Amino acid sequence: MSRIPSPLFNCQQATLLVERRAAAPLPVRPRVQLWAHLHLCPHCRRYALQSARLAHAARPAAEAAVPANLALPAAARARMQQLFDAHGSAQG
Amino acid sequence: MSPPVLPTPASDPQQWLARFGDELYRFALGRVADTDTAAELVQDTFVSALGALDSFRGQASERTWLFVILKRKIIDHYRREARSPFVPLDLSPEHAPEAEFFRPADGHWREEQYPADWPAAGPDQNRADLALEQQEFQEILQLCQQRLSAQQRAVFVLRFVEELPAEDICKELGLSSANYWVLVHRAKLHLRRCLEKNWLQAPTAA
Ligand SMILES: [Zn+2]
Repeated sequence: MSRIPSPLFNCQQATLLVERRAAAPLPVRPRVQLWAHLHLCPHCRRYALQSARLAHAARPAAEAAVPANLALPAAARARMQQLFDAHGSAQG
Repeated sequence: MSPPVLPTPASDPQQWLARFGDELYRFALGRVADTDTAAELVQDTFVSALGALDSFRGQASERTWLFVILKRKIIDHYRREARSPFVPLDLSPEHAPEAEFFRPADGHWREEQYPADWPAAGPDQNRADLALEQQEFQEILQLCQQRLSAQQRAVFVLRFVEELPAEDICKELGLSSANYWVLVHRAKLHLRRCLEKNWLQAPTAA
């Protein structure tokens, strides 16, 4: 991360750094500048909270999207059964 | 004539469909959001597994092994998706998607894009309300994910649903680290706004 534009007065840069910060600690200078920006900017503070909430919700949302008793559609299952039948007869 | 395949006693491909088919399908469907694609990924998984039966030595359970293959198929799926319509990332500031959210001149939020306050789970909320709100939030998040560009969706799903490390995603999708962060940022900007529009404005059961 050589050239990081200053997030001090720039919300676009600040929110981008909010994303990078979630993955790895930032170098000192951008870290301090981001801290100062978030201190002064309520919009980016909100963004930071909501961005973290999205990140945490993504996996549970994917799991919850599918009913726990949902089965393979019959046509797909039949196609796959043929696959196994062919494999079985090739072995036997 | 090939030598007889002698899988470990635990490995019985003829049982896979009955034992793991539905579970693999549900896993895939949570990640690709379209039934045909999910079924295809499961079928590809079985084809690869049958082809690689020799390499399965029962170190892991069959179930674990099949899920490893399926996860690989899901990554491949997103790689194809993200690569097909090539979207240039280096646009002039006025034409970049960020310009919808921020003023190109100084990078400040546009007033009409100011993030709104989201309801937090307050102490006055009962558990049923909370669960309902959570469920609504998750459903809308899923819908909003489908509206992302293919590249943004690929990056978002691989990072936050599959929880792959950033370096792996860059390798899989052929992205520079700078472009990866731009895509994560754009995905979050769009998702955040989409949720705000569709979740906060949704009529709440008062
Ligand atoms: Zn700001």
